[in-house]
Amino acid sequence: MIARRDVILGYVLLSLAALISLGPLLGVMILALGEPGRIGINLDIANATNFGNFADVWEKGDFGPAIRTSFIITSVVVVVSVILSVPAGYAIALMDFPGRSAIFALLILGILMPLESMIVPLFLDMRRFNLDNNYWSVILPQVGFSVAFGVFWMRAFFVQSARSLVEAAWIDGANSWQTLTRVLVPLARPQMLTLAVLFFVWNWNDFLLPLVMLSGSDLQTAPMALVTFEGARRTDFAYLGAASIITIIPVVIVFILLQRSFTRGILAGSIKE
Amino acid sequence: MSERVVFDGVSVTYPGMSAPALREVSLEVPEGELLVLVGPSGCGKSTFLRALAGLEGVSAGRILIGDRDVTRVPAKDRDVAMVFQNYALYPQMTVAQNMGFALKVAKVPKDEIKTRVGAAARLLDLEPYLDRKPGALSGGQRQRVAMGRAIVREPQAFLMDEPLSNLDAKLRVQTRAQIATLQRRLGTTMVYVTHDQVEAMTLGDRVAILKDGEIQQVDSPAAVYDRPVNAFVASFIGSPSMNLAEVDVVDAGVSLAGTTIPVDREVLAKVTSGRALLGVRPEDLDVVGSGVAITVELVEMLGADTYIYGRLSEGPLLVARVDPSIRPALGSVVHVMPSRTYLFAAEGDQSLLG
Repeated sequence: MIARRDVILGYVLLSLAALISLGPLLGVMILALGEPGRIGINLDIANATNFGNFADVWEKGDFGPAIRTSFIITSVVVVVSVILSVPAGYAIALMDFPGRSAIFALLILGILMPLESMIVPLFLDMRRFNLDNNYWSVILPQVGFSVAFGVFWMRAFFVQSARSLVEAAWIDGANSWQTLTRVLVPLARPQMLTLAVLFFVWNWNDFLLPLVMLSGSDLQTAPMALVTFEGARRTDFAYLGAASIITIIPVVIVFILLQRSFTRGILAGSIKE
Repeated sequence: MSERVVFDGVSVTYPGMSAPALREVSLEVPEGELLVLVGPSGCGKSTFLRALAGLEGVSAGRILIGDRDVTRVPAKDRDVAMVFQNYALYPQMTVAQNMGFALKVAKVPKDEIKTRVGAAARLLDLEPYLDRKPGALSGGQRQRVAMGRAIVREPQAFLMDEPLSNLDAKLRVQTRAQIATLQRRLGTTMVYVTHDQVEAMTLGDRVAILKDGEIQQVDSPAAVYDRPVNAFVASFIGSPSMNLAEVDVVDAGVSLAGTTIPVDREVLAKVTSGRALLGVRPEDLDVVGSGVAITVELVEMLGADTYIYGRLSEGPLLVARVDPSIRPALGSVVHVMPSRTYLFAAEGDQSLLG
């Protein structure tokens, strides 16, 4: 039984956190509905009635194709990265092979290296292999970055998941692949979904990589379309706000969809501690 | 098909550890035998089981199951079944799927899996629960599912890693009897690891006592109780454990707190340094009119027996298991005399009897 005082405290803290995270979003919303063409930031809620801004922005920013491009790239990256991260994380966590720690160290390096430090050589390399200015020029590097984190993430799960379950599967005659797919993957579903959400958010919002890689093509992602509303000298904040909302809506939808399938307490009853 | 299990000079050293967890262990478990490995925690009994299962690599020696050398064979190909202390049931699978998993992996036809799972479930009273997940079962039921998962396989040997330690006392006694019956009925070789000497004594055809990675004695439960090879085995087997006291050798016996306890001359002749370790089981210590005087510190009444804990004028606490009609007051002095004694070397604690 939780004390009443604790319940109230919980609500207060959660409301505070909600306010802090929703506040800016609300600001952007008011901005997006403001009168277009006005200079400066206008947070006048009474004038926030210009719903036509969204349609204008959709047209001007060419958001239709941009969101389609973003969606293709991000979906491929999420699916491929999760599929690669799970077995790799299992191998690093539970299989014994020479060079295991070296490979893991290399992967950690992939997480630590900031994109900015390697974007130029990366671009040159991709160009050398004629992989620039198409979907692959963004997908391949994004998969690379994502898998580095994904292996780290899945390894952490497999390492601390019940060792005896894995051993029971081995003794039952399962090989590594069967142990992974039939015993561990069903247990790792929440971790895999969380990973998919993280991958989606990060790669959807990625700006620098697509900007560089797609600079010589007609392709543009949603964040690239968004930036066209940020003028060099004067910015139309109403349009910028509306474009921002359009850009983040797919992320919100994906988050809500995936969050619904998170399952909790799946390990209950397996292990008697 | 049940097979014998042979350990031939097996050593296991864990990475980063200087002392081996198992030290040149040689042991044969004949086909169909139930061997209990018992010892204090860290003695290497679990390592033995894990090495046999293929979960731990060995640094020296050979392991045979039947006539097949499995020393380098991976766990999945050894055809042994193991029941884990925490049961390790697959949480996302039903009871039936848990029990049939090994058969499914081995590509046994569906009909046969169903038949074998059904038979095992009948044997273990699990039929009403076949469609439940482990999370919806009680501790005792989970334990039976773990057993069922092993039985269904019809393996060459069963490995049991403290399978009863998570059950409450009453259920433990029941399940212990079930396991013994089951093993006899199936006739499958079983290696059973426990730290509980009562389990060891009641279950085992033979008992192997381990300490510091070395086997101290392998014998029938009666023999390890009657003829322990050293003071460690003597004190480990039996409950409450054997009283041990360092004594001086005198004419025709040993002197315990001033009282001479008679000991055979042949045995006394083996004492080299003039000192020895006297062992007396609590059940061999009788309250008498005159004998070794002890000051009573604690009296435990268990119903059928009473345990008297008394201190010698100098030296250790002695435990006597006596008739419940004897109820000495705390702090009073009672006299006890052993009806049977054991004598161990003061150095190396080897038994000097027989």
